[in-house]
Amino acid sequence: MLDQAGSADKHILDEVAAERGKKVYIAECITCHGASARGGSVPPNDGPDLVRSLTVLHDRYGSTVGPFILKNHPMQSGRPASSLSQAQIEDLADFLHLKVADTMRTSPLFHAQNVLVGNATAGEAFFKGDGKCTQCHSVSGDLKGYGTKYEAIDIQQRFLFPRPGGRGGRGGGRGGGKPITVTVTPATGPAVSGTIDRLDDFNVSLRDKDGVYHAFARSAKVKVEVTDPYKAHNELLDRITDTNMHDVTAYLEGLK
Amino acid sequence: MRFPHTIIAFAALAASLFGQEPLNPAKLLQQPTDTWPGYNGDYSGRRFSPLKSINSTNVFNMSLQWIYRSTAPGAAGVAIKGTPLEVNGVVYLTAPDHVWALDARNGHELWHHAHKSQGGIHIGNRGAAIYGNWLYFETPDCQLVSLNIKDGSERWHKQVCDLDQMYYASVAPIIVKNHVLVGVSGDDLDIPGYFESRDPETGDLQWHWSAVPLKKGDPGYETWPNLDAAAHGGGMTWGTTTYDPELNLIYLGTGNPQPVIAGQKRPGDNLYTASIVALNPDTGKLQWYFQPSPHDTHDWDNVEVPVLFDGTVAGKKTKLMAMACRNGWFFVLERATGKAIVSKEFVKTNWAKGIDKRGQPIPDPAKEPQFAGALVSPNQGGAANWPPPSYSPDTGLFYINATRAYSVWYLYDLDDKPEGWGGTDRGGFSESILEAIDVNTGAIKWKHKWEGPGGRSGVMSTAGNLLFAGDTSNNFVALNAKTGDPLWHAALGSSVSNAPMSYELDGRQSVLIAAGDTLFAFTLNEKPDYQK
Repeated sequence: MLDQAGSADKHILDEVAAERGKKVYIAECITCHGASARGGSVPPNDGPDLVRSLTVLHDRYGSTVGPFILKNHPMQSGRPASSLSQAQIEDLADFLHLKVADTMRTSPLFHAQNVLVGNATAGEAFFKGDGKCTQCHSVSGDLKGYGTKYEAIDIQQRFLFPRPGGRGGRGGGRGGGKPITVTVTPATGPAVSGTIDRLDDFNVSLRDKDGVYHAFARSAKVKVEVTDPYKAHNELLDRITDTNMHDVTAYLEGLK
Repeated sequence: MRFPHTIIAFAALAASLFGQEPLNPAKLLQQPTDTWPGYNGDYSGRRFSPLKSINSTNVFNMSLQWIYRSTAPGAAGVAIKGTPLEVNGVVYLTAPDHVWALDARNGHELWHHAHKSQGGIHIGNRGAAIYGNWLYFETPDCQLVSLNIKDGSERWHKQVCDLDQMYYASVAPIIVKNHVLVGVSGDDLDIPGYFESRDPETGDLQWHWSAVPLKKGDPGYETWPNLDAAAHGGGMTWGTTTYDPELNLIYLGTGNPQPVIAGQKRPGDNLYTASIVALNPDTGKLQWYFQPSPHDTHDWDNVEVPVLFDGTVAGKKTKLMAMACRNGWFFVLERATGKAIVSKEFVKTNWAKGIDKRGQPIPDPAKEPQFAGALVSPNQGGAANWPPPSYSPDTGLFYINATRAYSVWYLYDLDDKPEGWGGTDRGGFSESILEAIDVNTGAIKWKHKWEGPGGRSGVMSTAGNLLFAGDTSNNFVALNAKTGDPLWHAALGSSVSNAPMSYELDGRQSVLIAAGDTLFAFTLNEKPDYQK
């Protein structure tokens, strides 16, 4: 969906050309327009923001950037703008389009930075104390070597949101995790337990340990007991502080 | 309700000016019965149907009347998010780039219009508007298109935004008098949001209201650090508009400020982003504003439906407006002035430190996105979003399919001057709860927690003491509007993707809902006319 942004005939980035254009930009533009082309900040080198420039946004392969520069636009080398070749102008246009793309969600630059800012010792104390994590987990058992298995941000996400699919955030979830189980006791007949297949106000269905599918219509006479193995994680969200979160992340990341 | 003179004049002319079956504009000022003439049914945004032949005592006997599923190239598989219109026995249904006219009695396709797209984000289309014989809809490639309702032929299309700046259009236009009111979408780049009035005959611009200051000294300029930040500050207008003909004011919400997430270089409240604004529909002049999310850093577009109703404040009958916002707060305002009567969370949130003297939440800077992450409720999708709520004058309750959610918010952009998308949220826990809110206090009168997360649909209440909603398991559900008890359901195969609407033809009430690419009509089982 996000890559649909813009016109169907938008400028298609050529990263090799953009790399060549970067050299032109550094030689002739960077002093006034800044390293990211988001404008200079210190007069007299406070040239406009080119990422927000309509001349750039309407450009296709130099179509508007070229004529604009060729109207005697000053260059930092002192050379006349007309000394730029058409190929250099097109390369420069590619570089500017790359700088625009850098600000978008589809950019490879759109990723998390360092999240390891917590205190591992404090994290250990929370893990063993208020976090009540040791009620289910052991750093010498299921969490042994945990810090070697995942990046720090994934550790942070996993202990907060272990539910498969990680619903809710825009950054997406992931597979895996323990399923929710259910025990259904019908009005007559034995109780059946298994992994929830589907549960709503009207029906409940499950797969038992042999993979057999069972379905029931819900009513006041049908007892439905749901067990979410991540209940404690969900409840933690209402009481964990950001400091706790960073500390536990640091502690778990250190489990080598 | 008194009709403005221009509308009466138009109604008198309509029969002679247009061909068969134009929309009588007086219908826009009435509660929807045999007609559902605008996105919300009527101008109030209540989505309350006065119909009651289907009601809480007989809804268990409701069943399928017809379905419609388009297999047209480019239309199959799309999610229908718009609310259909129904005018003179014809349903007008939309999806991005597509409009269909269907026989309201059986779903038979009368015509299909496919717009040849020049690009843009195809995330959804919320619906169409009709004025006389003409239908209006907006397209992802920034066009306002006018069609002839008889055959779907295009009369004209007008550009309303610039694809190169990565605007797009998704909102349903609204007709007010001789104005086609259009909003715009797009927050990939840092661009100004705006709202426009267009001439219904020509599509030409009548007025343009900018959501952000475009020059020094413009209203709200003092809430931005500089003109560059203000004029690129966002505030898209992709939510629906409601209208009070007596006050002659339209109400709309505005989207998040830009850069999104990264607010470090735009200190201040960033007016009029993430706000509710009242504008004069004839001039676009701002009458008042109220800002639910000052200095938003969580992508919480404040474009939810401003719902209009009358209530009593300090013993005095008062014109009110309510909104359940994406940021998790519910507000009731005096709609003549914007004065807050109720400011209250409708789900538990953790981003505000309290409310200021105007009743606006005060953001906690510690809960702005951080490089190492900040755990925040709600998440980016929000406690509410575009799916419309409903208000029933019978129960005095405001109904919303709410979401309680947590996610961790990260700053990504290391640049001295963040631009575009400066970060995002990740992961998340969420639960979905249908809530009935007492508009006098903001208290939750009843709530019904769905069995699972997701499934965010619009809702509709009726004079039959019914509330229609989608659940989280692909069911379309009718509940008792007073108590929240489920009374009927149908499994539709995929999530309810729009909001319900209803009309009555030949004495038979129909309730329409979409799930994915399929539109369903339901009605009561009864002996058909041809057997009587």
